[in-house]
Amino acid sequence: MWGQLFDTIFKAEFLFSVIRITAPILFAAMGAVIADKAGVVNIGLEGIMMISALFGVLFSYWAQSWLVGVIGALFVGALLGLMMGFFALKLKTDIILAGIAVNMMGAGGTIFLLYMFTGMRGNTGALVSSNILIPTVSIPLLQNIPILGEILSGHSVLTYVAFLLVWLIWLLLYRTPLGLNIRAVGENPNAASSVGVSVLRIKYIAISLSGALAGLGGAFMSMYYSQGWNSGMVAGRGFIALAAQAMGRGEPVGAMFSSLLFGLAQALRTKVSGLQGVSSYLVSLIPYVVTILGLVVYAASTLKRVKKIKAAHPEVKR
Amino acid sequence: MKDRRMFVFELVRGAAAIAVALAVGTIFIFLSSDEPLNALRYLLIGPLVSMKGGLASFNTQGFYTILAAMIPTIFTGLAVCVMFSSNQFNLAGEGIVMAGGFVAALAGIYIHMNTGWHAVICVLIAAALGGAIMLIPALLKVKLGASEMVTSLMLNYVCMYVVLHFLNYNFADRSKGSTQTYAFADTAKIGALVPGGSKLTWGFVAALVFVVIIGLLMYRTRWGYAIRMIGINQAFSKYSGMKVGGTIVLAQVIGGVLSGIGGGVEVLGRYSTFLWKELPGYGWTGITIAILAKNNPLLVPLAAFFIAYLNKGCQLMATYCDVPSEMIDIIQAAIFLFFAAEQFLSGYRQKIVVKNTRADLAKAAASVEGGAE
Amino acid sequence: MEQNDLVVQMKGITKVYPNGIAANQSVDFSVRQGEIHALMGENGAGKSTLMKMLFGLEQPTEGEIVVNGEKVSLSSPTVAIAHGIGMVHQHFMLVPSLTVAENIVLGMVPKKSGMFIDFKKAIELTKEYSERFNLAVNPDAKVVDIPVGMKQKVEILKALIRGAKILILDEPTAVLTTQETTELFRELIHLKEQGYTIIFISHKLNEIKQITDRLTIMRGGKCMGVYETASITEQEISRLMVGRDVILDVQKDEAQPTDVVLKVRDLHYTNEWNKKMLDGVSFDVRKGEILGIAGVEGNGQRELVDMLFDLSEPDAGTATVNGKDVINASQARIRAMGVSLVPEDRMTYGIAEAATIEENLISDRFEEKRFNNGPLFNMKAIHAESDRLIADYTVLCKSRKQKVKMLSGGNIQKVVVAREFSSDPTLIIADQPTRGIDVGATEFIRKKLVDLSRAGTAVLLVSADLNEVMELSDSLIVLYGGKIAAYFEDTSELDDVVMGEYMLGLKRQSDEEIGRVCHER
Repeated sequence: MWGQLFDTIFKAEFLFSVIRITAPILFAAMGAVIADKAGVVNIGLEGIMMISALFGVLFSYWAQSWLVGVIGALFVGALLGLMMGFFALKLKTDIILAGIAVNMMGAGGTIFLLYMFTGMRGNTGALVSSNILIPTVSIPLLQNIPILGEILSGHSVLTYVAFLLVWLIWLLLYRTPLGLNIRAVGENPNAASSVGVSVLRIKYIAISLSGALAGLGGAFMSMYYSQGWNSGMVAGRGFIALAAQAMGRGEPVGAMFSSLLFGLAQALRTKVSGLQGVSSYLVSLIPYVVTILGLVVYAASTLKRVKKIKAAHPEVKR
Repeated sequence: MKDRRMFVFELVRGAAAIAVALAVGTIFIFLSSDEPLNALRYLLIGPLVSMKGGLASFNTQGFYTILAAMIPTIFTGLAVCVMFSSNQFNLAGEGIVMAGGFVAALAGIYIHMNTGWHAVICVLIAAALGGAIMLIPALLKVKLGASEMVTSLMLNYVCMYVVLHFLNYNFADRSKGSTQTYAFADTAKIGALVPGGSKLTWGFVAALVFVVIIGLLMYRTRWGYAIRMIGINQAFSKYSGMKVGGTIVLAQVIGGVLSGIGGGVEVLGRYSTFLWKELPGYGWTGITIAILAKNNPLLVPLAAFFIAYLNKGCQLMATYCDVPSEMIDIIQAAIFLFFAAEQFLSGYRQKIVVKNTRADLAKAAASVEGGAE
Repeated sequence: MEQNDLVVQMKGITKVYPNGIAANQSVDFSVRQGEIHALMGENGAGKSTLMKMLFGLEQPTEGEIVVNGEKVSLSSPTVAIAHGIGMVHQHFMLVPSLTVAENIVLGMVPKKSGMFIDFKKAIELTKEYSERFNLAVNPDAKVVDIPVGMKQKVEILKALIRGAKILILDEPTAVLTTQETTELFRELIHLKEQGYTIIFISHKLNEIKQITDRLTIMRGGKCMGVYETASITEQEISRLMVGRDVILDVQKDEAQPTDVVLKVRDLHYTNEWNKKMLDGVSFDVRKGEILGIAGVEGNGQRELVDMLFDLSEPDAGTATVNGKDVINASQARIRAMGVSLVPEDRMTYGIAEAATIEENLISDRFEEKRFNNGPLFNMKAIHAESDRLIADYTVLCKSRKQKVKMLSGGNIQKVVVAREFSSDPTLIIADQPTRGIDVGATEFIRKKLVDLSRAGTAVLLVSADLNEVMELSDSLIVLYGGKIAAYFEDTSELDDVVMGEYMLGLKRQSDEEIGRVCHER
């Protein structure tokens, strides 16, 4: 059995699937990173992914263009983020409760919306045709390299965007004035507002961006990964993204590695479930257990650091 | 007077939040349905009023069905009340309901007893498991400061997959078409309270008993008091000499026990075998209920009834009209957002505060004048 | 004195806060171009309020502000900065994980290619200002890693880079070590030489004498006068600053102190900024007496109370209550020894705002047998207890079910005091027990303290209110710079002038005199 397992794992096809599976989590994890940097917990990622996944399919069907679908999903995600922001920042709903509400809309509300718009129930099977799915691209030169080409080439456009985004988000956070403001607002809002940075505005921007990123993750799910929208599709990826953010210490690159870890575990699960004597369910556990363990290690290691920062900066509440 | 005015305000605000949510629902009905008025009728009065030949009559069975649907959510609602009262955003109730239901079912199948206590033992096992599972996020929070929210979210999936593993690999009844356990013993079943197919069992009575127990716990015992004070102001509680860490763990273990009971009672009351293949959703509904009840256990049945009523209305709407039952999630989400919004209608609250302050000042001035005479 | 010489003129400033407290009453304050001007006064004298108005954080109820000859309305800090006024707060407004340069340019980031931060420019800018003003900082270091002295320089640079010509420094030396203070003074003089104007809030006489040109003294929300620093003696400053406007007449019998209850020996504490806050403090509090701790705030009082109630740990030293160690005990254990604390920060520690009066009154005793019937609360006993306390302590409220946050400040403190005084304590630590509350509640609380001590409770009273600490205490110690500067066995003959000299560090008793506060060896 182990031999069989190793055979599957060390195939290019396996690593290809790791990347494919990681991408949607990565989008949402980047969303979690941006929100967290601004001091906002976006627990609504799960619901935002569901809703924008649906709208991605709907927009692309209406326009018969995958690009319109993706952009539509992005806007729906941003809009939902803005809505969470409105309730949390303006009406002072607890941000966690606002997120749970968005998740509720995502869980059942989507089924309702689908019916409302199309008369269909549960999934979008009949709407989807290959021309409205996100196309895959073969990368010239790279695709000809053995193994590496097989692993890295031939993914969807959005898969590449996901990994590119890690770098872009890093750039945004660490190389642009907006990123500086986001980090300042998240860490010490008083310091930010004392130099004329509008804390409210920055938080709205961050949570909308967070929503937009989750929206892309949703589009990836429905317009590439599952080739259509169905009601159980996101299956906790939004929550996992939150954990990936925490495990990756809130940094884009760290969150990417955590997401890859989850992608790996998930890919392993699909491979292993075919094997004799292995429970696919227990394999499915791996990412969640790994996440909890990761959080434990992270929490234990930061315990001291946090104490130090708190002691030196009593004005910063974290 | 001052407090009563604020109380009335809170009442009005809650009602307004629900009204806004229903209005949102109505808009969606009008957008999606060809017969919106009919759909609305089913949603709003359908659950309790049956129409036969133009005659409206009270639908007793429908009423029982609603009460039956409240059973698991009362338990999860209570669980969330206790945990949120200590200011712990623990969301693992969902997974524990499933795990609790599963072990209760197993105990119902594999433990043989002839007495009426069988069901009770099954549920107690579920309760113990629920409490034990909650120790994980609780201890990680207290000892290491790991966010109980994230760990509990992950735990939901852990519970689900562990249950599915054992269901599929160890306890499945292979003679059946779908994956399910063997039927549990009759002694383990929770008996019906009323005749008919409403599934209204003694579990409902148990749920109400627990409402009283948890109400007493929270407002009439030292443990509940400590839980609430820690939720309001942890620094104050520590300064007062309370055992903060232990109490935070206690609150979450109680939440786990209640969720476990909820799962056990639901499975043993509603079904004859364990057949859940995904998380049942009662944990999340419990959060809505706790929010509506403002974390007050005694208001939980009311909130649970409201949600069950809406749920039933949505189902009827889906059965007899062209509106999918998932409408409930949109209404719930809207209730959630507005009900929990502190600043919703805050303009009016401000007016009340100003009015109160003026009244106080006038009174103070009057008493000063009076004193000067 | 030429009028156009004045860069800031605040005329007839009155500030009444919504809660009715008049923090400033017709204050006149003016600063000359290019001087270092000290604003002095005890805590609560109104200095901070005055400066908040100059920096646009608060608006005056009456009066006008003239900056550079122009009448201005300073509606926000942004407006104040635009008028060339910058402020360095006591609590730094810095983002710990950002670098020094990033903190300095936050909100006015130099850009390159339209969208990216121009780090080089930010660092150059930092270096340029840092060199020009002789304020050495490391632009690349993260703020979390730099010492507090450098953090302060970053704050000063932040103000300068935004074009401030007038700098307000709020007790800048409170967090600094001696070396850092010397360095800061050199830098401030350098700034002055370049034509900058500095307003320096402090109550440390030696520092004021060292670097300021003129000084304004405030007391009780009023201006006590403006002086050339060179022409006023430290004793005169002390007399103007410290003093009582009304002498309270607290009725109390002579204390009959007996056994030692609280015994503190050689406590040392260095805070997170490496500043020595407690330096070998030893004293005893006896049954039946009120021992007062006087001193200007920030001289170790807060740290001392924190040690005694397990809110932080000392570096060295012991403290016992009736022979039992309190340093390593939890709050629960400390309370079990019969210690009560009226905390300085009552909104954080003293009460749970959203809970009812009753719930607040029983927080230290709800586990006692008399309030429990098996697993359940004995509600009758709890109601009786809270009704009794509400009546005894004249808490003005609708009922015991009222939320504490609906009460006035004085009544909130009465709730705290009712709980802390009624637990039959052997030792009461009262930390600023009457700060910011109305006259009626103040008198009530003071009277209760005296009654309790005469009934045999040991009382440790910490207060920045000179009136209070002198009138209530039977004997008194003065803390200065983390050390006991004086011990007065009998407070009845004390006068303000002498007190002021000890509080401001002009005088210190001999070790032998101070040692008398330890009644047990």
